[in-house]
Amino acid sequence: MVALEILIYGAVLSGIYALLAVGFALIFGVARVINLTHGAFYMLGAYTTYALSVLLNVPLILSILGGMAFVFILALCLDRFIIERIRTTMINVLITTLALSLFADQVILQIFGPDNRNIPAVISDRVTLLGVDIAGQRLLSLIISVAVIATLWLIITRTRMGNALLATAQDPEAAQLMGINTGRMFMITMGIAAMMAALAGGIVGSFLTVAPEMGMLPIIKAFSIVILGGLGSLGGSIIAALLIGYLETSVAYLISFNATELVPLVIIFVTLTFRPAGIFGKRRGF
Amino acid sequence: MKLVTHTWRTLISRPPFYVMAIFFLFMLLVPVMTNDLYLIGVLVLANVYAIFASSWDILSGYSGKENFGHTLFIGAGAYGAAYLNLYLGVPPMLNLVLCGLIGAVFGILIGIPCLPLVGPYLALATMAAASIAERLTMIFSKYTGGEEGLYGLEPITAGPVGDYYLSLILVIITTVILMAIGYSKQGLILRSIKEDETASEAAGINTTRYKLVAFAISAFFAGMGGAFYAHYQMYTGPSSLSIIMAITIIIICMIGGMGTIVGPVLAAYMLTVSNEFLRSIGDFRLLVYTGLLVVIVLFLPRGVFTVILERLPRFGQNREASKP
Repeated sequence: MVALEILIYGAVLSGIYALLAVGFALIFGVARVINLTHGAFYMLGAYTTYALSVLLNVPLILSILGGMAFVFILALCLDRFIIERIRTTMINVLITTLALSLFADQVILQIFGPDNRNIPAVISDRVTLLGVDIAGQRLLSLIISVAVIATLWLIITRTRMGNALLATAQDPEAAQLMGINTGRMFMITMGIAAMMAALAGGIVGSFLTVAPEMGMLPIIKAFSIVILGGLGSLGGSIIAALLIGYLETSVAYLISFNATELVPLVIIFVTLTFRPAGIFGKRRGF
Repeated sequence: MKLVTHTWRTLISRPPFYVMAIFFLFMLLVPVMTNDLYLIGVLVLANVYAIFASSWDILSGYSGKENFGHTLFIGAGAYGAAYLNLYLGVPPMLNLVLCGLIGAVFGILIGIPCLPLVGPYLALATMAAASIAERLTMIFSKYTGGEEGLYGLEPITAGPVGDYYLSLILVIITTVILMAIGYSKQGLILRSIKEDETASEAAGINTTRYKLVAFAISAFFAGMGGAFYAHYQMYTGPSSLSIIMAITIIIICMIGGMGTIVGPVLAAYMLTVSNEFLRSIGDFRLLVYTGLLVVIVLFLPRGVFTVILERLPRFGQNREASKP
């Protein structure tokens, strides 16, 4: 029974982590930028959805789409006006994006206050799956994560734009010589990744806490997952997301809820010190 | 003797030194000029941040190994001070040195696995190390007081003015030692590691040793600062280990100018004091720090005080001869 619960709840958690981590890995792979505002995108997605659906009574699905659109525009501006200018210095990118995400936290804190918020669920019924009782929204979030990642995979591997993204990831200079507008590719990647994060924020709002600092831990986890999977490897990120998601769920069920946050951190520290390239990375990103 | 006077003259003629000398002289006179205990309290906080920022700078600003978990060393000092004082009755003054050493041990323990890491890998590893420590204080709340922290440490001096002078003396000692290290061979080699680590290795420098020493020095002063802070507040809690604190320290250093010691120290005063003026409107500390950081990174990437110090003249010697 516990095993089945771990199986299903672990899958839901992994799905959300994958949704965040794949976007994060995509930005790194294509633009070579470690974008720590990713957690803020997740948080802003949740708050925009909350503001639209609860405060302005917009239908929930439209609110989630609204949140995605808002974060998409924000991400394009961020890329165009800030990241573009500091791309070459890694420390500047790291600390500036981290500072910007704290800035966003503070702005939200000033507007909405420190209380936890709740976004209504798209599906409010509970479902019984393999004998496990689970909120419909959790299952929906799993289905959405899988669908979005699969679509992204198809776009990258099957379309012309996807090829251009891959080419930019491989060698931006050569890609530019082949007539690919690499600047635009960076922006598109940033936009897609930000929308995925906002979507994650919008759908988890009914069963996870929505608070100004909600993006902080997920971004450290997404960062960890991406490094564990090998920087720039999308497949590696998905497997690492499953690993961390299941590990956390198992620890929460079998050991103690308190230790959930600790285990992935220890794994990251150990991985970094023994195999910085990650499980599937062929070499270090730097 | 001649060499000593010459070195002294060279140092005192340079802007970072005379600016710091004037600044510290002024700071020593502050309690004479004002009786405002609130202002003095703010300045004690600024002193503490100056110690934290300059100790971060000697490792990360100089060698380019950005440590995102500096709070681990601060927390080691703060919790170390609490245990030593509460359980073993170690006097606060001795604690400053002992907890500096505890910090240095942590610096070496964290430094060894982190040595080969660069850029974002190091950032994540150090951030993870500090977060692990923070989580552990929550999990073992029986011994660490959890969220509440540990109360009842002995006060370090008799009153606010005493705290102020002690913390200022600690800042002066820290700044002088760190600046001396910065201008020494150790500092030069750390700079060369920042420029090109492979090249410094090829030049026959044992970079590992120098980096480890830098970790230990940085952690020593952080631990000492943490111990002072714990005794000053008579309390220590998990907030001394938080990521936000670590980021605040990095932001202070980046605004002041990394790799200069002087820049981070002055920025610590500038930001802490200006933040207190804003407190009447609301708690905008992080909002101001982060907003300012973005502006600085975009328009003055080398930091505010670096730019100012470079414009100041050198005294008493031939400019040409003193060029490196």
